[in-house]
Amino acid sequence: MGGSVIHVRGLHKHYGALHVLKGIDLDIEQSEVVVLIGPSGSGKSTLLRCLNFLEIAQEGTIELLGKSVDPRRDDLDKVREHVGMVFQHFNLFPHMTALENITMAPISVKNQSKEEARHAARDLLQRVGLADKEDSYPSQLSGGQQQRVAIARALAMNPDVMLFDEVTSALDPELVGEVLQVMQDLAKSGMTMIVVTHEMGFAREVADRAIMMDDGLIIEDATPETLFTAPSHERTQRFLSQVL
Amino acid sequence: MIGMWEILQEHFVPFLNATGMTLRLTAVSLLLAMVLGLVVAFLKLSPIRALNWVAHVYIAVIRGTPLIVQLMFLYFGITNIVVLSSFWAGSLALAIHSGAYVAEIFRGAIQSIDKGQMEAARSLGVSHWKAMRLVILPQAFRRAVPPLGNQFIIGLKDSSLVAYLGVAELYGTALSAQAENFQPFETYMVAGLYYLVLVLIFTVVVQRLEARLDKANSGGKRDSRTRIA
Repeated sequence: MGGSVIHVRGLHKHYGALHVLKGIDLDIEQSEVVVLIGPSGSGKSTLLRCLNFLEIAQEGTIELLGKSVDPRRDDLDKVREHVGMVFQHFNLFPHMTALENITMAPISVKNQSKEEARHAARDLLQRVGLADKEDSYPSQLSGGQQQRVAIARALAMNPDVMLFDEVTSALDPELVGEVLQVMQDLAKSGMTMIVVTHEMGFAREVADRAIMMDDGLIIEDATPETLFTAPSHERTQRFLSQVL
Repeated sequence: MIGMWEILQEHFVPFLNATGMTLRLTAVSLLLAMVLGLVVAFLKLSPIRALNWVAHVYIAVIRGTPLIVQLMFLYFGITNIVVLSSFWAGSLALAIHSGAYVAEIFRGAIQSIDKGQMEAARSLGVSHWKAMRLVILPQAFRRAVPPLGNQFIIGLKDSSLVAYLGVAELYGTALSAQAENFQPFETYMVAGLYYLVLVLIFTVVVQRLEARLDKANSGGKRDSRTRIA
């Protein structure tokens, strides 16, 4: 394992009167796979969205790859190139083919040539098992296929860390496996990943660490084995007994 | 009704020329209205309050006053400042009028695109304006086609009022023809027929366009918008 990829201290996020994150400290090392679990409304998704600055936290510091990010001064577009994100509802661009979805950002942000971007995109589609779907529009793909294209799209920017926000929650049960398989392969390849999920099987099998959040705070941070079999916090026990 | 056929024959060439003028007026004014409408839509969606305000006032004034008043006001206003033919003055005035309605159409279409689309683009490091151009607007334009088609039909018919600026378009030609032949009923009916045929042709064109766009694919559905720093 290499150096620190994400280093968060004292993160607070408010939406008006609603206090969603109440002081988050978090360190993620290179190639670590960390799952975030916790009841809905506990702040998991908000934390992810703060890490790529889709949401701006009011208090606290975020360091990415050893560099502190100031959302008022730094070019957040530049920062986001290093942080890939995959969404619950895929959010593929419906007017673009699978291949165009993947090449859009490399061409328009990184100024890659069309040929170069297409070549890389084809490799990525191959990697997520969709080499034959490059000309398909999102509406012609199943949910599982769309989500795999979305993963390929995020990978096309060569991010240093990937954020997964409940990426299998909107899928039909029989399509969950193919997406988790892609994520597992990605983890094996050494990608640093933060995964908000309810897939406890995936968490146990793939993750290096499991973090339990409740009411805007991290209340437990342990290996998945420990967290799932011998949680030390009463709230974690209660949550696990409900979802397992 | 007896004289209608004669009028159709007698005025065939003038009405044909007039149809060309009506189409040119409509095309020029609506093209300008699209540009103006898009700019005003962005003013209205802007986080800067002063810009919202400009857009609000413009739309309120245009919606709140009759087109003929706007036409006369703008015609005399514009030609006071610059020397313009009545064709260009009329086109500009029509564009300023339609622009307010087109702005509302674009604003609605942009806001109807799922906010996840902007978020996905931003998460890839794409800037707000690039995401707008590459992701949001192509989908919004598609969604704006049906209401825009409607607005274009209104614009085509509204161009008749430019007759009062002395432009020899369809209505203006009918106006002078009936003063000579003393058959206002038949003459206006002929003019009406021309408008009807133009609108019907245009309606078919828009329907074809919609069908083709529908076939390509469909967009998101949630009604919300976001602007990410």
